Amino acid sequence: MTTPSHPHAGDAERAPDAPPPMIEFRNLQVVYDDAIEAVRDVSLQAEKGALVALLGSNGAGKSTMLKAMSGILYAEEGKIDNGSIHLEGADISAFAPDEIVRRGVVHVPEGRRVFPALTVEENLQVGGFTTSASVLRERRDHAFELFPRLAERRDQIAGYMSGGEQQMLAIARGLMSGPRLLALDEPSLGLAPMIIDRIYEVILDLKKKLDLTVLLVEQNAARALEIADYGYILENGRIVLDGPADKLAKNEDVQEFYLGAGQSGAHKSMRDVKHYKRRKRWLS
Amino acid sequence: MRLFADLVASGIAIGAIYGLIAMGFAVIYKATGLANFAQGEMSMIVAYVAWTISTTLTGNVFVVVAGSIVFAVLLGLAVERFIMRPMLGEPIFSTVLVTIGVAVVLRSLITLVWDAYPHALNLGVGRDVVKMASVSLRGAQIASILTLLAVMGAFYLFFRFSKIGVAMRAVAADDRTALLMGVSAARIHAIAWGCSSAIAGIAGVLFALVYDLSPAMFQLGLKSFPASILGGLDSVIGSGFGGILIGVAENLAGGYVGSGLKDVAGFLMIIVILMVQPFGLFGEREIVRV
Repeated sequence: MTTPSHPHAGDAERAPDAPPPMIEFRNLQVVYDDAIEAVRDVSLQAEKGALVALLGSNGAGKSTMLKAMSGILYAEEGKIDNGSIHLEGADISAFAPDEIVRRGVVHVPEGRRVFPALTVEENLQVGGFTTSASVLRERRDHAFELFPRLAERRDQIAGYMSGGEQQMLAIARGLMSGPRLLALDEPSLGLAPMIIDRIYEVILDLKKKLDLTVLLVEQNAARALEIADYGYILENGRIVLDGPADKLAKNEDVQEFYLGAGQSGAHKSMRDVKHYKRRKRWLS
Repeated sequence: MRLFADLVASGIAIGAIYGLIAMGFAVIYKATGLANFAQGEMSMIVAYVAWTISTTLTGNVFVVVAGSIVFAVLLGLAVERFIMRPMLGEPIFSTVLVTIGVAVVLRSLITLVWDAYPHALNLGVGRDVVKMASVSLRGAQIASILTLLAVMGAFYLFFRFSKIGVAMRAVAADDRTALLMGVSAARIHAIAWGCSSAIAGIAGVLFALVYDLSPAMFQLGLKSFPASILGGLDSVIGSGFGGILIGVAENLAGGYVGSGLKDVAGFLMIIVILMVQPFGLFGEREIVRV
């Protein structure tokens, strides 16, 4: 099968001798139950060290893309029907989840999903399942330095912590295997605005300190575009728009549909919903 | 008083065997979310293999025990690899029915490979009566109690401190997220089946040492399942205690009320206790944060 080149940030802009991108989705197509197409012909890439936001509303297929990347689609009767996922050029689409983690890709799932009955420290230990005991101890101490709050609560049952603390723990747990690519699925979900600020600060900080590539999946487009370098907008399983984050944030359509402001800058009322539907064709 | 002490002591001894098998139930449930209804049959077949080793190869107790544990682990791994793993992702109900199928097959293997007569597993140990204060127990009964305590201690340490043990609890809590952390579910399942089968096998050999072998031994599993429910199906240590409670309860009921009540006493007890404690005595309740 020939792979058509990516229409947007594709090979044309890349220098011929540039290193392969950290992660690259090539014409990915994901089907659930052999019937429902969740992601259709999506190509996306993140260069090493970049923070790439993947935006879109509920059910657009954002989480499905991350699940395909981390190899757990099969647990939900889903499979990659077409296309492939490449980590620094190597095809990882058929790898088992633990092999993908070993290769340095960690996916922090939506809704935090800390292990509720385990203590903070045990949660971190499971996060470092693929590493040796001595490295694990080092990384745990490092995680406690990054998140002093977790150090205070190291022996506490994770299920009883606040949402913000659980999100911190979920991120810290994801870092325990020493990833190069960190995929965060809606880290702001259900958190208070102040806590979201803090989480985003941490993400930026980690990206710099650990030289991480970050794939940030969000519904909260405004917040995500503030810290991202590049953004993709996914709708009904297809990418409808992509570009550098600052340009995307200024794009009229994005402002209207995702940032909550109309052309005049004022919030639209529900009376204009029909008008929205008619205009929902993306031409970028 | 003398009768009471004797009933309790031998109740603890048989309860220890129930407890061991119940822990086997709990280990598999914790790691895979399944109730394995072939647990009693696995005990039985390991006991028969022990008997075969002792009658054909050597009667040395260490060789027999080591040989049967090795066989038990291999049996557990084989069942996991060839029967349960292909069932991964199928509905729980069908998977549990498959374990019942395995149970029936193992049960009929006994009469197919061996025979339907009772046999004594004679290793030259465990039959002698030890007197302590006013109660007297056979050596193998005391060994059962000590084994239960040792296995419970070992599991406590395993789940608390070992990497695999903690990962097993993580898989039990949320297997999908555990996958995302790089925990290999297949490996955890295989370890659980191996461990579970090994302790079931030890229980089977201990039982055969005290009470002889027979093709009806699989009923041990039926008595141990309530022990596991009582202790909390997801609590390995609790299942061990549950076994002792069931053992003592059925002995007391059989001794004081009538032998007809002996077999149902355990079930009566779980009905009452589950009404008060729906997660079992030591089961983990789901953490719901509001």
